[in-house]
Amino acid sequence: MAHEAHADAVHAHWDTSIWPFVISFGILGLGVAFTFQFVYHSSFAAIIALGLGLPLILGGIAGWTSEAMGKGEGLSFASMGWFILAEAMIFLSCFAAYWAARLNAPDWPPAGSIELPKLIPVIMTITLVSSSLTIHKAEQYLHAGNRSGFVNWLLLTIVLGLAFLGMSGFEWAHLIGEGFTIKTNIFGTVFYSVTGLHGSHVLVGLAIFIAGLFPAIKGNLSPGFWRTAGLYWHFVDIIWFFVVSQVYFW
Amino acid sequence: MSLKEWVFTTDHKRVGVLYLIGSVAAFIVAGIMALLMRVELTTLGPTLTANPTTYNVWLYAHGAVILLGFQIPALTGFAANYAIPLMIGAKDVAFPRVNAFSVWLFYMGVILALLTFVMPDPPDVLWTGYPPYSTITSGNTAFYTLTVLLIGFASIIAGVNFLTTIAYMRAPGMTWNKLNIFVWGTAGSFVMQLIYVPVLGTAVLLISFDKYLGTSFFDPTNGGDVLTYQNLFWFYSHPAVYVIFVPFFAIIMEIFATFAKNPIFNYKVAVYGGIWGIVLVSGEVWIHHLYVTGMPDWLRIGQMVTTLLISVPVGLMTISLIGTLYKGSITFESPMVYALGTFFLFLIGGLTGIPLAVTSLTVNLGETYYVVGHFHYVMALTGTLSIFAGVYYWFPKITGKMCNETWAKLGFLLNFIGANMIFWRMMEVGVREGLPRRYYDWAQFPQVADDQMFMTIGSVILALGFAITVLNWVFGAISGKKAGDNPWGSQSLEWTTVSPPPHGNWPTPPVVSEDWSPYAYGKRA
Repeated sequence: MAHEAHADAVHAHWDTSIWPFVISFGILGLGVAFTFQFVYHSSFAAIIALGLGLPLILGGIAGWTSEAMGKGEGLSFASMGWFILAEAMIFLSCFAAYWAARLNAPDWPPAGSIELPKLIPVIMTITLVSSSLTIHKAEQYLHAGNRSGFVNWLLLTIVLGLAFLGMSGFEWAHLIGEGFTIKTNIFGTVFYSVTGLHGSHVLVGLAIFIAGLFPAIKGNLSPGFWRTAGLYWHFVDIIWFFVVSQVYFW
Repeated sequence: MSLKEWVFTTDHKRVGVLYLIGSVAAFIVAGIMALLMRVELTTLGPTLTANPTTYNVWLYAHGAVILLGFQIPALTGFAANYAIPLMIGAKDVAFPRVNAFSVWLFYMGVILALLTFVMPDPPDVLWTGYPPYSTITSGNTAFYTLTVLLIGFASIIAGVNFLTTIAYMRAPGMTWNKLNIFVWGTAGSFVMQLIYVPVLGTAVLLISFDKYLGTSFFDPTNGGDVLTYQNLFWFYSHPAVYVIFVPFFAIIMEIFATFAKNPIFNYKVAVYGGIWGIVLVSGEVWIHHLYVTGMPDWLRIGQMVTTLLISVPVGLMTISLIGTLYKGSITFESPMVYALGTFFLFLIGGLTGIPLAVTSLTVNLGETYYVVGHFHYVMALTGTLSIFAGVYYWFPKITGKMCNETWAKLGFLLNFIGANMIFWRMMEVGVREGLPRRYYDWAQFPQVADDQMFMTIGSVILALGFAITVLNWVFGAISGKKAGDNPWGSQSLEWTTVSPPPHGNWPTPPVVSEDWSPYAYGKRA
């Protein structure tokens, strides 16, 4: 009987989803915006392309999340390992460029560099490690079936992530104010690129949390989703140890 | 059958067909670029354009579009999407929406690549994008970066999706050693994609950072190093050959098994030694692209050895291929004709690569037309014709109709003759005259005039063959005669469902018995 019902369903319709198309189109908009801004020096056209692309992406993510949350991400945890492999290779490439430059440099730090602050990176490390612990705690509440406990610890994680980004932004502003920019020398290039790349991953992690937060508040809790999101967050945390040890304390 | 159900589809078969349409479109564009270059080179001095930069833009568009827009999407996009869930007995892939996302990202990448032709200052950085040229040219390097990033990201999420699908969505009873060799080949290809594509993505992102944000990753005057780019680029781009090679070789194996009515010879050796051997060695060969950049001899010789070592797994797969034909009852339908022709071309391409691996020879042969000829035998001919073989092979399953055999074989003949006319002659002028590659003109080499004319005639024949092939598919899809569910008499799982398969593939999910094999022909139970 179940099989017959399945057979009817099979012939009845073809699954569709509009959101992958919408997000892809939004991403094209971002690419076009970048090109207008930096190649054709037309900020106006860039803003239009950005104004078209960004809402499509954000709306697409929201639509995708509400459409798919709780359905069929049973395998997402298993797949996240492969994705993390690819992500790790991105960071490795950047570190390889950094190591090649640094180990071949006649003297280090190169002329024009300034002493990086030592206290902020320590506080940032503590913040990010704490956020890994809080999301773990949140997951424990989730498995225990305690929704409000889960949401509270998730919110705390989001706050810690935002605090991390805030400190990073504060530090960037401080260093740029002292005249140390991405253009200064190879160390400036590496410092802003690597911390920026890592920061963008924190941002993506936060975006995942926030995208899942609203369904969670409404009671749509998907353990598969949160396990996967948690794994990604732990990965971002671990990468930070490489960033902080290689860029700040070497 | 509404348009909406195609554009917004999440079904792996339709996503596969979308990949095929997009990649054939990209193929046509890149092919026109190649023809333009070929015609430009026919006569001494300006032929079509007096502006060498225009020639460089064609060169860029040909290389970037054919690799990123055609070969990789046709194999790991179209063929993988269409065949893998059917071969492993799954309803669909693990993440159907991600799959749709991947195909549309690919389309956006192709759109960006095509914008090259309408925007001012098109990219002129070849497909390699080497700094310092790419960071100082007035050409639009950003399009190059963004095209690579979009299509690269599409590859990465497709890789995540398919590896998860293969690991977790096999039909009950489908053990690892019962998988089709094409499933293994694609798995190996995707593992390589996940390791290497992010490195390419980073490399091309950093040239745009250097050019547009003022960083100095590859700027030696400010502490950077141009060789870092070359290392990062080839760390992906040499394995990219294997990303393409492994699945297309596996398609040939599938076709050989089906049309020789034989099981794959030495299946386990081909899988674990051949495919995974290539994956293992693929990351240790890229430095042979940098032999003349001033590196210590121990590194050059070491890389020469690892490069030659790749012949071992490739040889294992070749033995399996020939063994599959041995004592088979071979029939010569169009997919088999293509597969046999491809195999022959692959032998030429593979064997002419060995001198290029040897340090002392490549110093002289590198940067000549010999490299272009060799490279096109492996990638352009073997890659493209095996994709054609795959399309002809799965065509009855995809459309439920048959292609015209006569036109298919005529197309093959023209492709085969035209391709050999061009690329054999390229290798020849590379060795005989040392004709340097990539130049807009050949004023210092008046003796190659006849060769240039010969190659252009070859390219026209090839273009005619391609046109016949693509039109044959179009007419076959519209008005071909009805195909049965299993016109080739294959034992593989994808032929057990109806043609074309419905959404969900099988009315009831298949279960694989203990003694089932995708290659159970005669010799085995």
